[in-house]
Amino acid sequence: MKLARSIIAPVTGILVLLVVWESIVRIFDIRRFVLLAPTKIVSELADDPGAYWGNTVVTARHMIVGLSISLAIALVVGSIMAASRFIEEAAQPVLVVILVTPWVAYMTSVVIWLDFGERPIIFLVAFTSFPVFTFGVVGGMRSADPSARELLASVDASKWEVMWRLRLPSALPSIFTTARFAIALALAAAYFAEGSALEQKGLGVIGRRASLDQTTGAEVLWTTIFCTAALGIVGLAVMSVAERTLLRWHASQRT
Amino acid sequence: MVTIRSVSATVELVNVSKTFGSVDALAPLDLTVEPGEILTLLGPSGCGKTTLLRLMAGLVPPSTGTITVDGVSPAKARAEKRIGFIPQTPALLPWRSVRANASLLLEINRRNSPSHPSSDVDELLEAVGLTDFADAHPHQLSGGMQQRVGLVRAFALDSPLLLMDEPFAALDEITRTEMRHLLTRLRAPHGATVVFVTHSISEAAYLSDRVAVLSPRPGRVTSMEVIDLERPRLPEVEDSPRFFETTTRLRHALGGTA
Repeated sequence: MKLARSIIAPVTGILVLLVVWESIVRIFDIRRFVLLAPTKIVSELADDPGAYWGNTVVTARHMIVGLSISLAIALVVGSIMAASRFIEEAAQPVLVVILVTPWVAYMTSVVIWLDFGERPIIFLVAFTSFPVFTFGVVGGMRSADPSARELLASVDASKWEVMWRLRLPSALPSIFTTARFAIALALAAAYFAEGSALEQKGLGVIGRRASLDQTTGAEVLWTTIFCTAALGIVGLAVMSVAERTLLRWHASQRT
Repeated sequence: MVTIRSVSATVELVNVSKTFGSVDALAPLDLTVEPGEILTLLGPSGCGKTTLLRLMAGLVPPSTGTITVDGVSPAKARAEKRIGFIPQTPALLPWRSVRANASLLLEINRRNSPSHPSSDVDELLEAVGLTDFADAHPHQLSGGMQQRVGLVRAFALDSPLLLMDEPFAALDEITRTEMRHLLTRLRAPHGATVVFVTHSISEAAYLSDRVAVLSPRPGRVTSMEVIDLERPRLPEVEDSPRFFETTTRLRHALGGTA
């Protein structure tokens, strides 16, 4: 029953969205570049599924590699920040600046520093998402039970033991929460960076080219948007499953 | 070099005081905890009894004076895992099973874990009636059961000194009574020295060999009461007139400080 609901409910939500979208496009006769009907997107996708699949895989790789690098950096930076209030207070404004600066604006400079190709794309994905991850790591590690910290101190646990046995597992729930935001950011950054870095493949690349093409561009552009969204949904779904498996012990997973 | 552990530790405090900023938490005091005894620190909230316990555990340094556990500093005793600490909240790690929580302290600083503990974790879990819950997670246990895991976790270390910071304070009266009976039973074969912090008079009377009564801040030991109820102390003791006399005496000793 519960499983059926957990599948039926979201599918219903998506179907309603698609029906409303399709109706709006037809009723108001909206131009293709402004909004393309879902049925048109499906037929565009069906025309050349291999090409869209291939480009989606490339974008997925950019996102996964970028996010992995960003999480690794966040774990290191976050543990250092969680260990020292001074370092935390010094690093916080820097992270906020990175978070709020519009990356759309400085991407051209990134390409100049790092040259064309995959490097600027992965850099942008990792750079935009690591402050979010870092805040999650710091907050999570600080939430570790003070009594448990004292208990570990009573047997003279090393810093590493406290980190591994207490702080890191305590941080998992908040890392998962921030991962959702990080995925959304990473996907947008990957799509945009691909278009700017003059790569050969990736949803962002064909999307950028299509936006300049007046004949069949709208179909291609909207299909890349559709594929990007689908990729994000898959990413979040994978995250939910991982969370359910790893955090069985946590209150958020007990309903 | 292998240091030989005593079975029951001696704790000595000479001229020990503690100040936090401008607040005097503990006035200078001398205190000796004899090997194998159960000494209870009894006093109202905020009298510095927990601070005194934390000083003995080496978790905070004293402002003046010296503390030794079997002749070494509390920090060294801690590093050698000679201290079994039981915090006020069970402080179980929610992602670990009951068994894994009970053996947590053995896994940490492993070099100094006892090589031949007198009883292993599974035996201790059986002794506290948690065998069927060994693979359960803390959130599936009641408060009393959680604190029993906390006891097992400390006893598994086989340490000569047990420091307990109001371990049963958050439990209901019925569970609390059961817990002090259980604690007596668990400790009997082992004979570790125990320093027990509480504000419960009946807990102090039932458990202790001696009770140090503390005054409100700055904490001082206003009287040292010897509890001469017979050992082994069985639950029935609590129904005896002598137990009633003892609790009355402790209440008066406490009242004199207010």
